[in-house]
Amino acid sequence: MGINLAKAPLRAPLTLVNAGSDDAVSRRLAALGLRIGSDFSLISKTAGGGRVALVAGTRIALGRSLLQELRARVVD
Amino acid sequence: MAITDQPFQLSSPVRLTPSVKACCNTDGGLGAGPEAPVVALIGAPNTGKSTLFNALTGAGVTMGNWPGTTVEVSRGVWRSTASAASCQCESCSCDAADEPLDITLVDLPGTYSLDPHSPDEALTRDLLLGEPIAERPDLSVVTCDAARLTSCLYLVAQLRERGLPIVVALTMADVAAKRGFEVDASALARELDCPVVAIDPRRRNGLEALAATVRDALAQPEPSRRPVPEGVDELAIEDERFAWIAHVVDVASGAAAQNTRTWSDKVDRWVTAPVIGPLIFLAVMWVVFQLTTSVAAPLQDLLDGVFAGPVSAAAVWLLTTVGLGDTWVQGLIVDGLIAGVGMLLTFVPLMALMFVLLAVLEDSGYLARAAVVTDRLMRSIGLPGRAFLPLIVGYGCNVPAISGTRILPNARQRILTALLVPFTSCTARLTVFVMMGAIFFGPYAGTAVFAMYVISILIIIGVGLALRGTLWRNEPIEPLVIDLPAYQVPTLRLTASVTWLRLKGFLQTASGIIVVTVIGVWLLQSIPATPGYGFAEVPVAGSAYGVVSASVAPVFAPAGFGSWESTSTLLVGFVAKEAVISSWAQTYAVDAPDESGAPGDLGAAVFATFNESSGGHPIPAALAFMVFLMAYTPCVATLAAQWREIGGKWTLFGIGLQLVVAWSLAVGVFQIGRLLL
Repeated sequence: MGINLAKAPLRAPLTLVNAGSDDAVSRRLAALGLRIGSDFSLISKTAGGGRVALVAGTRIALGRSLLQELRARVVD
Repeated sequence: MAITDQPFQLSSPVRLTPSVKACCNTDGGLGAGPEAPVVALIGAPNTGKSTLFNALTGAGVTMGNWPGTTVEVSRGVWRSTASAASCQCESCSCDAADEPLDITLVDLPGTYSLDPHSPDEALTRDLLLGEPIAERPDLSVVTCDAARLTSCLYLVAQLRERGLPIVVALTMADVAAKRGFEVDASALARELDCPVVAIDPRRRNGLEALAATVRDALAQPEPSRRPVPEGVDELAIEDERFAWIAHVVDVASGAAAQNTRTWSDKVDRWVTAPVIGPLIFLAVMWVVFQLTTSVAAPLQDLLDGVFAGPVSAAAVWLLTTVGLGDTWVQGLIVDGLIAGVGMLLTFVPLMALMFVLLAVLEDSGYLARAAVVTDRLMRSIGLPGRAFLPLIVGYGCNVPAISGTRILPNARQRILTALLVPFTSCTARLTVFVMMGAIFFGPYAGTAVFAMYVISILIIIGVGLALRGTLWRNEPIEPLVIDLPAYQVPTLRLTASVTWLRLKGFLQTASGIIVVTVIGVWLLQSIPATPGYGFAEVPVAGSAYGVVSASVAPVFAPAGFGSWESTSTLLVGFVAKEAVISSWAQTYAVDAPDESGAPGDLGAAVFATFNESSGGHPIPAALAFMVFLMAYTPCVATLAAQWREIGGKWTLFGIGLQLVVAWSLAVGVFQIGRLLL
């Protein structure tokens, strides 16, 4: 369900549908505002294959390995 | 890549109770006294917490390592007034309502929640929730960034659920305004059911209102807990918590407005971008390196000249006047203490400049971007991206590089980085490389020196991989998740404050170790080990220093430089690489080479020594010597910095590691080299 964030389009409205299998990482993301059901967008690519996510005013740099685990759907 | 599921636990309990009573006009000390209320300053990273701490305590800051951790907790006296901040003493005739109240303010490591992911966060959690309850702070001031309210309110929600007394300090309202929205502090206070004060610690606005609110809150009974669903699992509680946060944000600011793009985002599109981002990072590092070495170098030379010239001359004159000239006392004071302390003080401009640049990079928000750009490279040796910065700094000087490891949030990563820094080839080693190159490699001297830098990088990668495969094997490497703060123009006051605190900490620790070491070396050079000489009159070869060097020399025979002359230089180099060439000159009793690096008589003498000790293979022996010099313990100043940052156990481990790596490589280079050259 959904696409992993490495394949998600830039600057498109997204909703997180899977926060990955690592509970600690999921909690960390949730504390930053990125949790299942959160609306966000990926605003830029970073060196090393990561992305910067914009969620509720917070800019979060996400590493490449994490992008593969997180899944989102594009909001119509 | 996984993060441990187990919350971090500290090895021993930590307490907040102040132990020293501050007097009327003293802002410094460990706290405001045992009777003073204790207020903790907490909040997510980059929310202006430390800036607020500095603004509230002024110079009254002490840094200390808590038992069982290497993370730091700053503590200071907050002389709060309910209204005007004019009162300077306790015996004045101020209105009773304006009477100053000294508060012990404790700045805790930044955290997003009470569920710790690192030792720093565990410390914060344990200080806030530890037992007994009487040891907990009386109140917590929680800094919340108005521009990213959602990520700051998770901690607030957890604190409110536990009924802990808090005051929310709302920062970065100017950043939020630039992004097109405002946070209504009154509405936020109503929804959070706790006091909220809008402040700007960078410009020191709103601090009096914060003081009044905190004093009022301290007088209130313990607040009620925010109700959470009962009889449900943790997931349901979190759902409710996030729904509550979303509601609060919506009422106080309007959530949709927070997602507008800013100029900061436009800058980030370049600064963190593939290809361009790393190039910008390298350019920034080059500027840091150049500024540190080029600007500080003349000041270092100036200070060196002052201590070697007027200060030493004045000391000699004074000692001669009191009848102690040309005695061992003069040797100890002039050649030992003044030279040693002088060497330490020549580091001050370099250290200060490095700390200034680090503070500027931190304050501007660039370090978070640098961490993103270098993350993938550093991850290969078990470190996060931001560890690249102290390693780069190390090529200028290892001492500030060791202190620079504090930018790393994880204690274990700080230790690993501090163990790798000594393998970065500092500028002090460069002087020896240049001289060795001129003596042994003629027109290829530049290539030989460049090779040392390449070998330095390879050693760092090799040792990093080896440690990651052994002692750091089970160390979790978190996936990259970094909250990028908005860019800010660094403030002079904050930069100066941070620089001074770090510089003071270095001088306090390093000065003692350097003085002791210098006296020890001087004593060894003064004690005769051969008959016929008095104390401080013996030639170096016949001194305890020379004899000890000769006894150690056979260790280096397999590396081709097992002579007492070469060994004694390495012993001096253990104290400081800056002293290597002059000590060689002293040993051979000829003048040190001039600034061009031309070896002269010293070069011929050194060549002859290497030729003899290597059995006719001076070139590979010289290469082995250079490799050893590059890889073994940089100097006692670096050891002092390591001792302060990672403790004695890891410092000793690092010395052993450096010696094993240096000796093994030197032997390998010589043994292979003599077959080829």
